[in-house]
Amino acid sequence: MYQPMLYLHWKQIRVGLIPFVIASFGLPLMAIDGVGAPPGADGTMLGAYHFIASVQPWLIFFPVLAGAIGAMLALSAWNWDHRHDHVYALSLPVTRWEYVTLKMGAGASLATLPAAALWLGAHMAAASITLPVGLHAYPNQLALRFLLAILLSYAVLFAMAAGTIRTTLWVVSIAAGLVVFGAVATDLLGGFYDLFDRTNVVLVALQWLTRAPGPFEVFTGNWSLIDV
Amino acid sequence: MPSTRKWEPGSVNSAIDLRNVHWKAGRTFELHDVSLRVPMGSIYGFLGPNGAGKTTTIRTFMGMIEPDAGRIEVLGRPVPARMKSILARVGYVPERPHVYPALTVAEQVRLHSSFFKLWDGGWARELTERLQLDPDQKIARMSKGETGKLLLLLALSQRPDLLVLDEPTDGLDPVVRRDVLGAVLDYVSEARATVFISSHLVHELERICDWVGVMDHGRVVAELPMQQFKSGIKRLRVADAPEALGNDAPFTLLSRQRDHAASPDNGSGSTETWIVRGWEPPMRYYVEGVGATLRDIIDLDLEEGFVELLRSSRPQPQNGS
Repeated sequence: MYQPMLYLHWKQIRVGLIPFVIASFGLPLMAIDGVGAPPGADGTMLGAYHFIASVQPWLIFFPVLAGAIGAMLALSAWNWDHRHDHVYALSLPVTRWEYVTLKMGAGASLATLPAAALWLGAHMAAASITLPVGLHAYPNQLALRFLLAILLSYAVLFAMAAGTIRTTLWVVSIAAGLVVFGAVATDLLGGFYDLFDRTNVVLVALQWLTRAPGPFEVFTGNWSLIDV
Repeated sequence: MPSTRKWEPGSVNSAIDLRNVHWKAGRTFELHDVSLRVPMGSIYGFLGPNGAGKTTTIRTFMGMIEPDAGRIEVLGRPVPARMKSILARVGYVPERPHVYPALTVAEQVRLHSSFFKLWDGGWARELTERLQLDPDQKIARMSKGETGKLLLLLALSQRPDLLVLDEPTDGLDPVVRRDVLGAVLDYVSEARATVFISSHLVHELERICDWVGVMDHGRVVAELPMQQFKSGIKRLRVADAPEALGNDAPFTLLSRQRDHAASPDNGSGSTETWIVRGWEPPMRYYVEGVGATLRDIIDLDLEEGFVELLRSSRPQPQNGS
């Protein structure tokens, strides 16, 4: 059952996925294109600083690309089923959980394609430059972080897309409601308690989510291909 | 008027057994106390106008929607508790094609077959040839008729004990329609499967079904053997009819209408046209017993009977006969 489901998902998204695979391969190569230390500074701290600084503007594109790939995989997984009230899936002799697992597994497997492309591109990029003393390339770590980011984005959006529009609206409304509630609560309680005057609850929650060991840390962590 | 047969849980004499099923979708539509029993081995025609609730009823016993009340069994197993084992033995052709347009015919067959243990690959190939389907053709480029044939191929190749067809020939040309129904009948005669076929094309069902259920406005208004349905609905021309019939009438009076034109052979009384259900020849004595004179008995074809049945089940205007 898994193999035909994987093939189905591949056939449904291949036109959309191939540009992402190419982008994943090309991004590390573009990131190190033209970077380097100033003449005569190869072995110095200045050289290392220049090297890292010239790669820095590209780093934002890695998590953005990973998030976009995860979103594309998730939304394409359910698109046809939603349009047909899930009738095909519901007429098959499998439980709903089995079907969802098969579908999720197929999408997760396809997430390895852009991650593998990025891994290859990162290795090629690392091999194509001479690093200043003290710097190292981390293509494996970068590819692994990229894969985890895709899977996280995919899992969250897959779960939301699997439900009805009403369920999705509920989830989004609750999240928005919590943000508003947090902001209002901070404002109101700030007048009574010093702690809330100095602390923004929404900001704290966001930091908790996006900093280690928060669940979304993979997006905000270190995306450097070249580092000390 | 739902039948009042006794509920027998776990009865394997029924391929589908719905008992007092109720389901409401917002303010727009409701299934009212739907009871159906599809005998094992029968070809059951499920008739009703568009929007009557046929597809919704099918979705309840296919486990796709959960009714608010009532009990359902398919192939002797409760729905939805045993849905997985039920669906392994049910071939389903939905009203709207649900196959994936990105796949070719052969790829869709491979995907579908991976879910069914009883899948008959040899017969699937035979049906592909018989229904003149190209295995390499992409589903997105197939016509409505070709897609309909593919859906039937998928359902039949599962070797189902129960075949559920929801408007399978709607919009198909006569040649494709004949191919589809021919394949169904061949399968039934070979495998002795039960077929539940929903349609609003009355003539189509008349030829193949041995049981019929009629639905209108979310209610089952009749359920009986096709022969009884066809032979039991008559148009009677009656003279000197009493104002009302007693509760002891052995037939169901679906409608009565006073004939406006003067009857040439009856100068004293008026004549009426009655549409009755459950008519049998000896019942003429009952009519005569209430003081009326039976002038004519006219057979109705299935479509006329269907129309009269629906007309009688709907609220009548007060200024009628």
